[in-house]
Amino acid sequence: MSPDSRHLLEVDQLSTTFATPHGLLPAVSEVSFTLQEDETIGIVGESGSGKTVLARTIMGLQPMTNIQVEGSVLINGFQVVGASDPEKRKHWGTDVAMVFQDPMTSLNPVMRIGKQIDETLRVRLGMSRQSAKARAIELLTLVGIPSSTERYDAFPGELSGGMRQRVVIATALACSPKLLLADEPTTGLDVTIQAQILNLLGELQQRLHMSVVLITHDLGVVATRTSRLIVMYAGRVVEIGETRDIFAHHRMPYTRALLDSSPRISNPSHTRLLAIPGRPPNLLNLPNGCSFAPRCSFATDQCHNERPPLTPSSEPGHSFACWNPLPISTRSEMS
Amino acid sequence: MTDLLAVEPLEAKTPLGPLFWACVAWLSLNVLAAILANLLPLQDPLFQNYSALNAGPSLHHLLGTDDLGRDIFSRIVFGSRISILVGIGAMFIGFGIGAPLGMLTAYRRGKFDHIVTTMMYVLLAFPAIIAVIAVLSFWTPRSILKIIIVIGAASIPLVYRVVRAASLSVATRDFVTAAKVQGASSLRILLREILPNITPIMVSFLLIGIASVVTLEGALAFLGLSVNPPTPSWGNMINESRTVLAQNPWLVLFPSLALCLFLLSLNFIGDRLRTYFDVSEVKL
Amino acid sequence: MIKYVARRVALLIGISFVISIGSFYLIHLLPGDPAVFILGTNDSPANRAILFKQLGLDRSIVTQYLIWIGHVLHGNLGISFISHNSVVSTIKAALPIDLEMIFLSQIVAFASAVPLAMRSARKPDGWLDRVLGAGSFTLLSVPPFIIIVLLVLFVSIKLGVANTGPASFVPLSQNFLVNLESLVLPSFTLSVGSFVVYYRVLRSDLIATLQEEFITMARSKGISARRIMWRHAFRPSSVALLGTAGVNIGGLLASGFVVQYLLAIPGLGYTLISAIDTSDYLLVQGIVLVVSVGVVFINFVFDFIINIVDPRISRE
Repeated sequence: MSPDSRHLLEVDQLSTTFATPHGLLPAVSEVSFTLQEDETIGIVGESGSGKTVLARTIMGLQPMTNIQVEGSVLINGFQVVGASDPEKRKHWGTDVAMVFQDPMTSLNPVMRIGKQIDETLRVRLGMSRQSAKARAIELLTLVGIPSSTERYDAFPGELSGGMRQRVVIATALACSPKLLLADEPTTGLDVTIQAQILNLLGELQQRLHMSVVLITHDLGVVATRTSRLIVMYAGRVVEIGETRDIFAHHRMPYTRALLDSSPRISNPSHTRLLAIPGRPPNLLNLPNGCSFAPRCSFATDQCHNERPPLTPSSEPGHSFACWNPLPISTRSEMS
Repeated sequence: MTDLLAVEPLEAKTPLGPLFWACVAWLSLNVLAAILANLLPLQDPLFQNYSALNAGPSLHHLLGTDDLGRDIFSRIVFGSRISILVGIGAMFIGFGIGAPLGMLTAYRRGKFDHIVTTMMYVLLAFPAIIAVIAVLSFWTPRSILKIIIVIGAASIPLVYRVVRAASLSVATRDFVTAAKVQGASSLRILLREILPNITPIMVSFLLIGIASVVTLEGALAFLGLSVNPPTPSWGNMINESRTVLAQNPWLVLFPSLALCLFLLSLNFIGDRLRTYFDVSEVKL
Repeated sequence: MIKYVARRVALLIGISFVISIGSFYLIHLLPGDPAVFILGTNDSPANRAILFKQLGLDRSIVTQYLIWIGHVLHGNLGISFISHNSVVSTIKAALPIDLEMIFLSQIVAFASAVPLAMRSARKPDGWLDRVLGAGSFTLLSVPPFIIIVLLVLFVSIKLGVANTGPASFVPLSQNFLVNLESLVLPSFTLSVGSFVVYYRVLRSDLIATLQEEFITMARSKGISARRIMWRHAFRPSSVALLGTAGVNIGGLLASGFVVQYLLAIPGLGYTLISAIDTSDYLLVQGIVLVVSVGVVFINFVFDFIINIVDPRISRE
């Protein structure tokens, strides 16, 4: 990170609240972070922690009804929060694009895949039919789809999950976005395919000089692929910092629990994975204090009554939200 | 959006609403009037008052008279008997045969289910009204019983389809499997486990079915293929009105209104019940 | 795909076979000697001989069917002993009127249902959606024979619009404009029922489709709401619409009967009811056969279109 690289994405005190029949549901609360050009940041957390909502709020894709968004999201200088759909449309695809979670549902089942890619090129970049088709085939080749000229006319149902996710990526890349939001891009795929897709994303990020927000529940996915990491719990950032710092010197017990629950190559085989006890909290009825307190073995009365603020740790850019942080000596655990 | 689904909102049951009860009241009023028509202080629906032909509404004739001087109000009340009788009678046949068959095939599955279902879908392929007209035009002389039998028979495939689909979604649930494992007899499972669970949708479909039958009978009567005049029915009153449309618009307006309100009440109650019991997975 | 079409054609032939048996058997529903009814007032030994030869009435019922279906497959539905016209030529003269009425009504129904369903689906529970929801639900309970009578009462009689009342039908070949005028009320009547069904089916399917992830993805590409509606949401939402249309158009033939009967428009329905009134049983039988097979065939065509619209169906 050179000091002169500018912030492509600035998220400041971002909150997303859903109005449900049972009351207000704070899906994302007071999230702030920045992302520089060419950087990849990871967002991790269990399902229900607000990662997907955060990604969609950053992009401004949430439907307008029954949703309240506060705070600020600047993408390449454009304020997303409060912008109308037609305004946002000018930035979607070209400034910011998204790779969706489930390739089985994110492609239009009755539209040929080639058409789904070159539609973007023709509508957004005003390309002619022929050049859009040529570029779409190029993109299909770029994301590693064999015999892309023939596959151009295939329907999504004729492709495997991994191939479909490559098509989704090709569609997202069609207008060379500066920022790519990848929302659990490998959840629905086989393990071997997962690695291929993630490597493809990393490769493309470098080749096309994109910034990437990589959202996942799997810490193994982000370990080597991101420079910084955000850990979310119950809609809040509970720990943020450089990826290696988080792995080596995490302070928040929740981060530890996440690490313990994900398989690691360094462990001998058949090591028991530790499940996080309890369940994620009901967002409609959050505790007053730390949301993780009910599941935390270190919790004190203060944890239950007072919400911990994000506090800086010893490393630069590393903060955590915890009243009883783990001692710094935990570094020995990661080797 | 798995993140959103993590918090499953419990769907609160919305109350049935005042309009629902208004429809129930209107329907009950119709049925009561039809049953008690003879006891009510109504004029003779067949009596021809030659001093008041095509008269408008008045105190003596609340809704006016037709071209033969017969009281429209009384004819509407007596006419409702035909509609209600045919509606209930035909659905009695339709459900009497279609429902047990649908439950049985959904529970048994296999070859029997396959054959019956294919047959029913073949029968569903063309509109009931054509088959009904065809049979009624040959099976002479026409009578209300024949009309009920023909429409009832024509409704069997429709009832069958709905009941089978509803039973199918119940028959695969855990409590049915549990009952089977405990060694309950098939008859007991059908009557104790499946039937209570499909009753809401059957009731809802029954009401909508009656509405369809009443519409069909109305069309037949309009075409002169239902009960013979002078017996009044809503359909043949509208039919008779067409020759005197210009002189006596009341003659078409009142029976039409009676028929439409009756149908609307049935459809509304059926529809509300369907959403109330939330059986959206079974399409009517 | 080819396998799917082959299965459908087999089913079509099967159903037509069942229909032919049903139509054939109709004359045996007549109480007593069918010849007496079919010949009516023209019951002479000579005519009786012709009829017996034509239908093989003295043979076994299976032979009778084989003789009859043999004639039918050669395009011969017999000659009416009442009107002395060939049944086929009577049907040929009447059928185009039904087709024209249905065609016009479907243009009106689709042209109004599709855009309105899209409007409603864009803002479910908005004012337009509520108004159309309540309005279409109410119209569900107004049978076509009431619509046409009321239209005639208010438009032709009260407002005095020319060429719209009973017995004002003019064939297409005679005068195109007057023909259209005389079909305005009938076609409109038929379109009301179709509109209600199409609107409701398409609206609920569009609402479901618009929740799909691929719509969010299409939005994320930065294309317009209009384009998303037409290019992404409409096609996957139109399967049930087309299926409903296939069934509905068959039903329209029947609703057409009512309308033609009131306005004395000499289409199949009017011809059928007149034939019933004059006890022209061979003509009734012929019309029933043609209409039934026609309805099944329309269903078949729509099934085929659905497959082109949504390639997932034949893949299953």
